[in-house]
Amino acid sequence: MISKLLVDLRLYWHLIAMQLRAQMQYKMSVLIDVVTYLSVTSLEFVPVLIYFGPFPSLLGWKVGEVALLYAITSMSFGLAELFGAGIDAFDETIRRGEFDRVLLRPVGALLQVVSSEFRLRRLGRITEGLLVFILALSLLPGLEWTPLKLAILPISIISGALVFIAILLLGATLCFWTIETTELTNILTYGGREMLSYPLTIYHQGLQCFFLFVIPLAFGTYVPTCYLLGRTLPFGLSSEWAFGAPLVALTFAIISGATWRFGVHHYQSTGS
Amino acid sequence: MLRFYFEVARTAYRRQLIYRWANLAGLLTNIFFGAIFSYVMIALFHTRPVAAGFNVRDALRYIWLLQAMVMVVLTFGWYDLMLTIRSGEVVSDLSKPCDFYWYWFSREAGRSIYYLLFRGLPTYLAGMLLFGFGAPGDWKLWLVYATSLPLAVMIGIAYRFLFNIVAFWILEARAVAGFATTIALFFSGSYVPLPFFPEWLQTITTWLPFNGLMNVPVQIFLGKLTGEALLFGLGLQVLWVILLTLGVRSLVSIAARRVIVQGG
Amino acid sequence: MAMIEAEGLSKTFRVARRRPGLLGGLRNIIDPQIRTVQAVQDLSLHVERGEMIGLVGPNGAGKSTTIKMLTGILMPTGGYMRVAGLNPLHQRRELASRIGVVFGQRSQLWWDLPLIDSLQLLRYLYRVPEKRHSDNLARLRKMLDLDEFLDTPVRQLSLGQRMRGDLAAALLHDPELLYLDEPTIGLDVVAKARIREFLLAINAEQGVTVLLTTHDMDDVETLCPRMLIIDHGRKLYDGTVVEIRERFGGERKLIAVLDPVEAAALPHDAKGQPVLSELPGGVHQVQAEAPRIWLAFGRNSIAAHELVAWLGARHHLRDVTFQEPEIEEVIRRIYEEGLLLRENGISAPV
Repeated sequence: MISKLLVDLRLYWHLIAMQLRAQMQYKMSVLIDVVTYLSVTSLEFVPVLIYFGPFPSLLGWKVGEVALLYAITSMSFGLAELFGAGIDAFDETIRRGEFDRVLLRPVGALLQVVSSEFRLRRLGRITEGLLVFILALSLLPGLEWTPLKLAILPISIISGALVFIAILLLGATLCFWTIETTELTNILTYGGREMLSYPLTIYHQGLQCFFLFVIPLAFGTYVPTCYLLGRTLPFGLSSEWAFGAPLVALTFAIISGATWRFGVHHYQSTGS
Repeated sequence: MLRFYFEVARTAYRRQLIYRWANLAGLLTNIFFGAIFSYVMIALFHTRPVAAGFNVRDALRYIWLLQAMVMVVLTFGWYDLMLTIRSGEVVSDLSKPCDFYWYWFSREAGRSIYYLLFRGLPTYLAGMLLFGFGAPGDWKLWLVYATSLPLAVMIGIAYRFLFNIVAFWILEARAVAGFATTIALFFSGSYVPLPFFPEWLQTITTWLPFNGLMNVPVQIFLGKLTGEALLFGLGLQVLWVILLTLGVRSLVSIAARRVIVQGG
Repeated sequence: MAMIEAEGLSKTFRVARRRPGLLGGLRNIIDPQIRTVQAVQDLSLHVERGEMIGLVGPNGAGKSTTIKMLTGILMPTGGYMRVAGLNPLHQRRELASRIGVVFGQRSQLWWDLPLIDSLQLLRYLYRVPEKRHSDNLARLRKMLDLDEFLDTPVRQLSLGQRMRGDLAAALLHDPELLYLDEPTIGLDVVAKARIREFLLAINAEQGVTVLLTTHDMDDVETLCPRMLIIDHGRKLYDGTVVEIRERFGGERKLIAVLDPVEAAALPHDAKGQPVLSELPGGVHQVQAEAPRIWLAFGRNSIAAHELVAWLGARHHLRDVTFQEPEIEEVIRRIYEEGLLLRENGISAPV
């Protein structure tokens, strides 16, 4: 089981490395791309700073706290954007009729799809996330860091990324039925990112439930941030739930993976 | 000749009608983001009922009207002209017996009408249904708004044209275009309503063309711009329409000359 | 153990009628009107190791559907199949490492990368040990003459070069079975000959079983001792090229070269060409260019040697050759006149 995973990872690495090499041939282009994306995503953060000009707080949250939440969400999303690029571009694969070839290879379909693209430009958003994180730290001088709190950072960011990627996979699975719905996936991913960048409690109860229990994006973003800031969670959840993020993300990912398998099965019974 | 441009606009409008599902998806996106910003506004106004002369209802109207207007005025992700430059089609377009800029202008005007009816209106209505902030009843406001909106559309068309036409000279035009769109959105109040910007920043943003793109018409609609300020806002819009249009037209003639010399 | 074993294979598609417009789209969801399309019906196939087979049939006959089922891409609605002893559907990945597939229209090479990069990448994808991979690569480079464009990005290659690249890619992992879907389509005569040479070589030298879908009858005649004709989802014919020509070839032609003096003495027609008269039943003259005369005769009307004897008894023959009907012609007739369909008791929708 483990050895199979290692073999898959090695294959993933080889496929990605080839693309990286091809992209790095145009270093200037890559740099411009990354810087542009960094600027765009940074500009998207500026409103948070502007809001706190005329307004003293956002439902009790101060500017530094919101910035921290924003940073964690950004880094999660950026990671997902980077590694999930192949899944994101799956509608193109279907459109070009290339999925048949995927099935003709002695490698799992999902692995091939995931490794089909790797866009360096997405590093721009991860960088933005880091910068905002540093800014948040400077705006929260009173924040005390314990070893547990330090641990929760990578745990939640990776969990959040996993949920985002799982959403992308759901969107890709839809492509087996129709390619007209890619915009809907974007609402959940880009929209979800925007939404989760602000404290969950400002939203309608229904939306809160949705992003906690249906599409658990909040577990990788809002919940751990509350843990870091010592804030209480809605619905009486104890803040230790932050450590449950990986489990929640994994469960969601497994469900997403199952629907993908169903989608591939459907493709095989109806043809392209 | 005018008849020709009218037909171009009508064809462009008709062509948009085909993309029903894409429009529906886009509409849902607008509504979703409108909702997010609404909740943020409501939460912000909790601690301070009035800011920069705005109350919660004003802010919600601002956000939703802006979401409604984005596609009408800016049509997100518009690279049509750039694509014709890339493919070389533009060469034959430039040698057509009609004015190059007015041709594209008419096309985009037609599309704007489509987006006004099928994106703008439904977006604002959806916002009204979800958050119950209504619309101003003063017909005079509507009249002035109806004057300001076309000006905004004209600015938007000229601006889109501008960052597309640079594809003639710059290879990385796509990245530039994406960036130009983001800048426009930011400085027109799409991310944060302009009235909430810090004072020093507002002195800059007032003079940028993006102000006339969305902020000015929206503020007119809200009844926040009256008297001198109103005339000033409208005047700025007119100024930018003229400046941008002239600028773009001269770029077109430079490009056309280059095409004749180099042959595309 | 046979390479391919298929029994009673069938595939039925359920196609929903598409109604136009927004209202139509909604009606499609509520009340879908589905009709069934039988793409493949009751197809049985038996292929031994090392065979080279041509799969022939008009467009929409069910050839690609059959190949898709045999490779595990498509799920059959009924029937039994085993390829290399494996179930293509349930053991798809295992089978994939033992077969190679080349699509004439679509390349499996990475578009933006140089050819060599694609070939290297495939090593990891197919888990080929390094030594075997480099040996195979060296051999294929020589056989297909790849060196001149090995470093060129695939998108810059000509069709013939790309096809050679795809062939190399499909064979790097030593597959036992090779499927080719229209491999010579769009290629010039020289390129086609080269590909055919290559296929014959790998079949002879490495014993690779080859299943080849094609519209080009020259491909079939040069390469395939055995041919399958598929139409309307059914296997209509499974046999040799020679046999099909004999059964459906209709008429053969005999070209007789007469003695010139004798030819001049024969009665002439309006065009001034000699005419043979009182020919036996079922034989008629189709063309003449003194001293040559073309005679067409039905296979069932008279035996070839009898006709030669008849001619020889009456004329001095300098030379006699036979001309077979073009296989293109034969196949065309079979499609158009539904000859095999009739034989198989199927009425074709007009």
